[in-house]
Amino acid sequence: MSTEDEKGIKEIVKRFILSSISIAKLDDDDNLFESGIVNSLFAVQLMTFIEKTFAIEVGMDDLDIENFKSLNATTAFVLQKNGLRSG
Amino acid sequence: MQQRSTDSQKGKHEEFKTFVTLNVEPFAGQWDRDQRIPDSVISKLAQSGYLGCSLPPDYGGQGRDVVTFGLLNEAFGRASSALTGVLTVQAMVSMALLKWGTPEQKRTFLPPLAKGEMIGAFALTEPGAGSATQALATEFTRNNEGDRLVLNGSKKWISCAQFAAVFLVFGTLDQRSVACLVPRETPGLQIEPISDLMGFRAAGLAQLHFQDVQVPSTNLVGKPGFALSHVAQVGLHYGRISTACSALGLLRGCFEESIVHAATRKIGDKTVGDFGMIRSLITRMGTDLEAGRLLCHSACRAEDDHLPEVFERTLTAKYFTSRAAVRAASDAVQIRGASGCHGSSPVSRYYRDAKIMEIIEGTTQIHEDILGKMFVDQAGRLGK
Repeated sequence: MSTEDEKGIKEIVKRFILSSISIAKLDDDDNLFESGIVNSLFAVQLMTFIEKTFAIEVGMDDLDIENFKSLNATTAFVLQKNGLRSG
Repeated sequence: MQQRSTDSQKGKHEEFKTFVTLNVEPFAGQWDRDQRIPDSVISKLAQSGYLGCSLPPDYGGQGRDVVTFGLLNEAFGRASSALTGVLTVQAMVSMALLKWGTPEQKRTFLPPLAKGEMIGAFALTEPGAGSATQALATEFTRNNEGDRLVLNGSKKWISCAQFAAVFLVFGTLDQRSVACLVPRETPGLQIEPISDLMGFRAAGLAQLHFQDVQVPSTNLVGKPGFALSHVAQVGLHYGRISTACSALGLLRGCFEESIVHAATRKIGDKTVGDFGMIRSLITRMGTDLEAGRLLCHSACRAEDDHLPEVFERTLTAKYFTSRAAVRAASDAVQIRGASGCHGSSPVSRYYRDAKIMEIIEGTTQIHEDILGKMFVDQAGRLGK
């Protein structure tokens, strides 16, 4: 994994989130689901975006809020699924 | 939906329409009066492969793209909303299972679902939990050995439940949402048919009562805590695609019945269609039909392309076509006059069925709540 990979993925995910939900800023560790700013439909939208953008498939074993709770968590999940970071 | 379709998709649409002309349209009124679809019709649907339209060939499905699935629902929706409901629910159960099922669950359940040897039902709604799915009272507990789940509660307004062989049941386990496959023959499951509905009268709705129903823990679909947010969402999403296209078919039915009547029915030396007031109604119907085609095609294409905006497009399509179908059905009855109020004309059935389209897979008001928020949340894209 390179820092560039991580930064690039994080930026792409951040752009998607900020274009989909009404918040002014999003820090890397802000918890999307605890804050109540997103609903369950957004959870599957985010999943679909990640699957499409990074050519990965989210399966039953990946259903863990820890994988999607924040920008950092989602970035780590994408890196892990792409084999760029050990799980 | 046809304008942007490929030749292959157009060819399948013609095949679907021919099937409907021969096997559905002449009989749909009688099924409505009987409040029942004959077993032989479900068998014919199964033999055609239409019940496994979207499932991959590896599981015995047809592996068709979602545009083709949409055209299938449009073709059937033209003649029978109730029978299209079987396609809707089968897809909801099958696609949720395809996405979130274990390999063993997929091997066991998907081939018979794809071939129509098994009909599924999506058991989400409860007497006290309709739009508010967070209020589910159906409860799963673990037995002492931990290898089985014990289910208690009830479900209501479950389409196809009168003849389904397996139910995808939603409830809670240790206060987390779960989805679980429950075969029809499981002891403790009682199925109570619901009759005298306004529309979708032949769709086999029933209430389900679970009293200490035991199923293996391995029947859980997805992980606990994700049943509503992920398993149900996938099912409901396919349900909305199907319903949007089915409502589009109903809208086409209203349009076609209306233009034929307007062109042929005489009032003195004029036809009904010579009157400007009637042309106004038909114009609204025709433009709604074209807009609905484009919206449904856009939603189906987005699903085929796996775009994240597919949810917005699908909600938009379902919202538009279901409301347009209600308007069109009302206008179609108006154009027919007294004969449109009688069971001998399909528009009276369309009128009753159309209203149901605004209720199922999320009411019009739920769509407005979700879509309105989605649109407001997009303000950030304007950079202002």
